[in-house]
Amino acid sequence: MRLPRLKLERVLVLTGRDAVKISAASIIVAFVIFSIFLLLEGADAIEAYRNIFSFAFNPRLGLVTTIHRSMFLLLVTLAFILPLKTGFWNVGVQGQFYLGTVGAFAVAYALGNLPAGVLIPLMMVAASLFGAGYGAIAGFLKEKWGVNEVVLTIMLNNIAFWLIYCLVIGGPWMGISESESRSLPASAMAPTIGKIPFTVPLAIALSVIFYFLLTKSSIGYQIRCYGSNPSAAKYAGMNPLKLLIFVTAIGGAIAGLSAYHMWAGDPSFGRIPRPEGYMGIGDFTFWGIIVGLVCLLNPIAAIPASIFIGSLREGGAILVRRLGLTFGLDNVFVGILFLTFVAFQFFHRYKIIRVKKRR
Amino acid sequence: MSGLLEGVRRGETVLEARGITKRFPGGVIANDHIDFEVKAGEVHAVLGENGAGKTTLMNILFGILQPDEGEIYIRGRRVEFKSPLDAIKLGIGMVHQHRKLIPAHTVLENIILGHPRTEKIPNMKRAEGEVKELCRKYGFEIDLNARVWQLSAGEQQLVEILKALYRGAKLLIFDEPTSVLTPLETEEFLKSLRTMATSELAIIPFITHKLPEVLRVSDRITILRRGKVVKRLKREEATMEALAEYMVGREVLFRVKKPEVKMGEEVLRVENLSALSDRGILALKGVSFSIREGEIFGIAGVSGNGQHELAEVLAGLRKAEGGRIVFQGRDITRASVLERLKMGIGYIPPERVEASIGGFSLVENIAMNLWYEEEFSKRGLLNYRKIREYAEKVISEFDVVAPSVEAKAAHLSGGNLQKLILARIIPRTMRLLIANLPTHGLDVSATEFVRNELMACKKEGMGILLISEDLDEVLQMSDRIAPIYEGRFVSIVPAEKARKESIGAMMAGAPSEEP
Repeated sequence: MRLPRLKLERVLVLTGRDAVKISAASIIVAFVIFSIFLLLEGADAIEAYRNIFSFAFNPRLGLVTTIHRSMFLLLVTLAFILPLKTGFWNVGVQGQFYLGTVGAFAVAYALGNLPAGVLIPLMMVAASLFGAGYGAIAGFLKEKWGVNEVVLTIMLNNIAFWLIYCLVIGGPWMGISESESRSLPASAMAPTIGKIPFTVPLAIALSVIFYFLLTKSSIGYQIRCYGSNPSAAKYAGMNPLKLLIFVTAIGGAIAGLSAYHMWAGDPSFGRIPRPEGYMGIGDFTFWGIIVGLVCLLNPIAAIPASIFIGSLREGGAILVRRLGLTFGLDNVFVGILFLTFVAFQFFHRYKIIRVKKRR
Repeated sequence: MSGLLEGVRRGETVLEARGITKRFPGGVIANDHIDFEVKAGEVHAVLGENGAGKTTLMNILFGILQPDEGEIYIRGRRVEFKSPLDAIKLGIGMVHQHRKLIPAHTVLENIILGHPRTEKIPNMKRAEGEVKELCRKYGFEIDLNARVWQLSAGEQQLVEILKALYRGAKLLIFDEPTSVLTPLETEEFLKSLRTMATSELAIIPFITHKLPEVLRVSDRITILRRGKVVKRLKREEATMEALAEYMVGREVLFRVKKPEVKMGEEVLRVENLSALSDRGILALKGVSFSIREGEIFGIAGVSGNGQHELAEVLAGLRKAEGGRIVFQGRDITRASVLERLKMGIGYIPPERVEASIGGFSLVENIAMNLWYEEEFSKRGLLNYRKIREYAEKVISEFDVVAPSVEAKAAHLSGGNLQKLILARIIPRTMRLLIANLPTHGLDVSATEFVRNELMACKKEGMGILLISEDLDEVLQMSDRIAPIYEGRFVSIVPAEKARKESIGAMMAGAPSEEP
């Protein structure tokens, strides 16, 4: 058998269609690779995948949580996408989420007597403002003095974590149990449609708004210009500082808002859980980076991508619980997914073509 | 074959190149049968404008490129370099314009890095002794234990030289050796160059401008133009004027008709303007001039003499250190880029790829000079329908060849990309156009197109500042010409009085002839 001769060719411009194909291929490859792990564990791969998704989407089992967590993921993904459109790696979504938590709970505790129709919007505004401010600090410092945003936002994450810790553990927000906060007043909890909190359609709406912001608005155009070629944007009279502060503030606002969705949108919370608990949710925000990259920073594509990854996370737990597989195997899958995705980015720059032999 | 240059004596021919020819894809002949030789104990400078073929020749002599035709002889023996490693083995050293050192390491560590004799555990004591001996021999003074990042540009260059010498180089090639040095460092460098040459070393500096320096240190000078050797001179025979004349040549490629335009009022007045370069050095040292409606004011200069900083300060992209910019009677020294764009000041940047966005469609590229206009943007939303209509109009007016206006800019050729940029900027420019190297790197027909467009702007009464490294272009297009050298205008000459040789000499550092 003669092997075909292959050659690499530079891809000058990536079309949206090709990008989708490449993302889909990377997901398929991830499934194939994870199957090997499942086989090594002695599990039936097809059975395992069936279990994951049937649990995640079963209305009596995982569906409500899957939707709630997926929409949380969607919000943190949006918080990550927008700044990255200008080249700013918002690794600080976690910290902005924590600050949003502080904002929302501060309002709820201080103004708990107000009717829900006033209290809830106030909590959401406070969460957004706190997150926006926290995000904008990083945007400002980066553009003004060239501080590395990754280092900066990770440190800000840490500060925000301990801020909540001080407020809850032995602090003014301490609840009955020493390591959890007081519970939110009932009027602060998000109203639901069925069992779905109203913040779910809100998250979808925000994706659509982001899409139009980026493709139709003047500021979105400036953001895309600056992200594609900063020097060209400067020639065109755009103001980098203004743009950086805008994207980090809006990103931070969405991350802050996700805090309201998380704590007030799931009746099993309604309070800030013990540190391992809120830290676990904080770490979950990093999955927004994966989703953001998988959907190639497209806010509309982020909707199915969030639901996909969110259902994997919810359903993945079943591998451990129901099938008795090794603990942490569900995380292995997400890890593989991320790696294959990064590897497939190669095809954004090159394509492999067959060289026809001349006779 | 290694060590071919061991024990070479003064006056002996070290390197000889015969009939070196190099063609690049697209039919450009960068080197056309170049003959060149250098003797031990000699400084033989290679002089030429940008694009004359210096870099190609230098890369061939150092083994980075292989010639299509021609031979290289070292001490009479035919050699072929497959890579720079071969050249280094034979005793050729290169001092690059852009330093290739490791900033966090010490001077000594940088010098011994990559030396074949440096073992896994280097013998620092022995190496230090050897390097010190080299320093003594050539009269260099440097702290071998200093970190490279602490050193000045001149000292870093010395490290590069020592590195080459430590490797046993007997022939040193310098790429624009003084371009990053301060005047004081240049002085030091020129002295050490002479010291090096009095020993057995052969030295070839490649220099674009700075003719006074060439005259001071060279024994012989070879001048390249358009890939050919146009003149070989001994230092005694050379004058600044002659060098400039040979460098720029006399022939004129093609002519653009200069329309008769009556000049109107003053559009721009610049008073004693100064600015820093990206490296924080005063690059523009106080220039004053004015431009009237319908006038083309040309700045002739070799790159790196402050003209780029001047253009950026005028466009609002760079802060003025001192001085004033007055546009139509209004002080705009502190106005932002956007404010200037809205006033009708257009800037054509020198780097086409940096000025456009390859991943954007032609329409989106055109929008870069529309997004801030009320006509195209209402309540924060862009009117893409209007932008598209407008883009279609200007793209056909400026003759941009593309499958459709939705095609990506990355697919355009250089000439078409420049047309796209003109289509973006010129129709939005009402009063003042700053054209920074507008024809740089374009083919003949695209160059002609750009020049005719600039003339059309002049006819419409725009004031134009034209910055170019092509002296013919400046002379043909401008009404007044300012040769710029080291951040200052040497003179401002009306076009009818401008002589090519004298302008060429002034942009290379000769003083103004006028009293």
